[in-house]
Amino acid sequence: MDRQFSLDMKTRWGHMKKSGALLALPTIAWLFIFFVLPLLIVLVVSFLSRGRGGVALLPFTLQHYERTFDVFFIILRRSISLAGLTTVICLLVGYPLAFFISTRRRRLVQQITLFLVILPFWTNFLIRTYAWRILLGEQGTINGLLLSVGVIDEPLTMLNTQFAVLVGLVYGFLPFMVLPIYASVERFNFRYVDAAYDLGANDARAFLRVILPLTMPGVLAGCALVFIPSVGAFVTPDLLGGTRGLMIGNLINKQFGGSGNMPLGSALSIVMMAVVMLSLLVYVFANRRERGA
Amino acid sequence: MATFDVELIDIVKEFESGGARVRAVDRVSVAIEDGEFFALLGPSGCGKTTTLRLIAGFEQPTSGQVLIRGRAMEGIPAYHRPVNTVFQDYALFPHLSVEQNVMFGLEMEGVDKKAARKRAGEALEKVRLPGVGERKPHQLSGGQQQRVALARALVKQPAVLLLDEPLGALDLKLRKSMQYELKALQRDVGITFIYVTHDQEEAITMADRIAVMSEGVMLQVGTPKEIYERPQTHFVADFIGETNFIPGALLGRDADGYGRVKLADGTVIRARLSHALGNAASAVSVAIRPERIGITPLGPPDGSGGRHTPLDDVTVLDAVVTGSQYIGTDTRYTLALGGEAELVARLQNTAERNAALQSGQRVKVYWKDSSATALDH
Repeated sequence: MDRQFSLDMKTRWGHMKKSGALLALPTIAWLFIFFVLPLLIVLVVSFLSRGRGGVALLPFTLQHYERTFDVFFIILRRSISLAGLTTVICLLVGYPLAFFISTRRRRLVQQITLFLVILPFWTNFLIRTYAWRILLGEQGTINGLLLSVGVIDEPLTMLNTQFAVLVGLVYGFLPFMVLPIYASVERFNFRYVDAAYDLGANDARAFLRVILPLTMPGVLAGCALVFIPSVGAFVTPDLLGGTRGLMIGNLINKQFGGSGNMPLGSALSIVMMAVVMLSLLVYVFANRRERGA
Repeated sequence: MATFDVELIDIVKEFESGGARVRAVDRVSVAIEDGEFFALLGPSGCGKTTTLRLIAGFEQPTSGQVLIRGRAMEGIPAYHRPVNTVFQDYALFPHLSVEQNVMFGLEMEGVDKKAARKRAGEALEKVRLPGVGERKPHQLSGGQQQRVALARALVKQPAVLLLDEPLGALDLKLRKSMQYELKALQRDVGITFIYVTHDQEEAITMADRIAVMSEGVMLQVGTPKEIYERPQTHFVADFIGETNFIPGALLGRDADGYGRVKLADGTVIRARLSHALGNAASAVSVAIRPERIGITPLGPPDGSGGRHTPLDDVTVLDAVVTGSQYIGTDTRYTLALGGEAELVARLQNTAERNAALQSGQRVKVYWKDSSATALDH
């Protein structure tokens, strides 16, 4: 681009920037008042002591953080590993599915399969999760079926286990994995696969060396979109996990109830947010490396 | 025995398109010799790229056989064929550096990294692009990307290099210089090149032999000279360069391969008969290149104006100049023959012949009979 021209563009955009900032002001104010400020309050509260009825009081203390990493560490670890496992399963199921959808030649087939992926969103999440209770219960559909066919002699315990939580999470978040990968594969130029074959790569190598790296942005976005809400999930573990499947989201939820502990809940929230932030950082760095690469 | 690098035997390729079967390649048979620069020439959609993809192994023929170095390629996947491709849009891997792109094929062969790196460097030097190995393809210009694509294919030392309109994305000037370079490179490496292009000039200047394709059919295969000077069909004559077509009726065939053609105004001329002309054909076109036509102004009544003497193997016709266009080296005249036939002639602007003919001027046009071909109408 011509230098003078680019300078002109810069000054023009400079004006745009000013009016742009003005336009963004209401949103910024909104975010500050209802997001940043409350967050700061939660941060402060997490260092306060517990008063009667679970409210926060002076003096400052680190005891809630100590408890988070002591008594509740097992639940924190469970949350992270369940979310991680959910992400891995979603990826293993979602990638082939997304690949299948975006490589259909007929537009109609693509649209129908995509529609089927999004279809569950049309029903309330709570209702869908309740449906899993019916499916997984002791006298539920799956046990009933297996018993009647004679595969098992007594009902399997599936409800109120970590397994049930995992099933629920994968079910709930799979579309968030499929959609970004679909978009990535859709944009992928299959001429590169021809080129890889041409240079002597078989199917597996063409996939690992060319297709996967070039669809990595979709994979990373999908992983972030599944992992982050999975860590903090509380409806799914609440309905499907019982006490054995308790996750950090449920724990936080309890602290703000009647007999709760607001400072502890705040500390747990902060730790959970830190976990999410860390995983986001991993995402950003991986993404940047992909792009630079 | 002649050694053929690539043989296509009665290849048919059909595609399903909206419920109908479309024949992209229609009974193509051709043998390409070792070390040959072979051009597949035709308009877009003529099946030339599909033919290339059949050789590469990206497509399987509906029927017929592809042989590479005498070996049938049926069931052999693209990654096991001794051919490499330079793609139209280069298809350089955007996530890999230039060097990694060139090394890719060697790694697939299992060449160790150090040797691969050395060979990649040599290949990049061969295409005159050293020192860019660390860069990403998108940081290079179109011409440089084109060279990387060449290096990436050549480093594999294939039996045959397939090039799919490799210069199509470059600007005119760069394309010209790359044409010479590609040709020199081909002589240097001695690999058979199969070169797909829709640019007739490119094909003529670069190729040893050209196959002209239209609607999936290989119409004519020959040297550039044969294709240009002895087109066998209307399509080939029309597609390559500029040609006059004078409609006429075939009166008879002579033993020497010539035919007598009666033009619309009743004049009978002689022209070479196309081999592709059916035995029953009667309506023909006489094809003649504009630069093969001579023009003589009708001189003063005393007859000193020029040579009118009819020769045995020369056709001389009366014509009227209807227009002229100065195009630098040449002047391009449009002429009207008897019977509404139009003719275009190109005369070189030599020192002696600078006086332009005037519009409306009556002239004689003449050409050697061997320059005219009677072909399908």
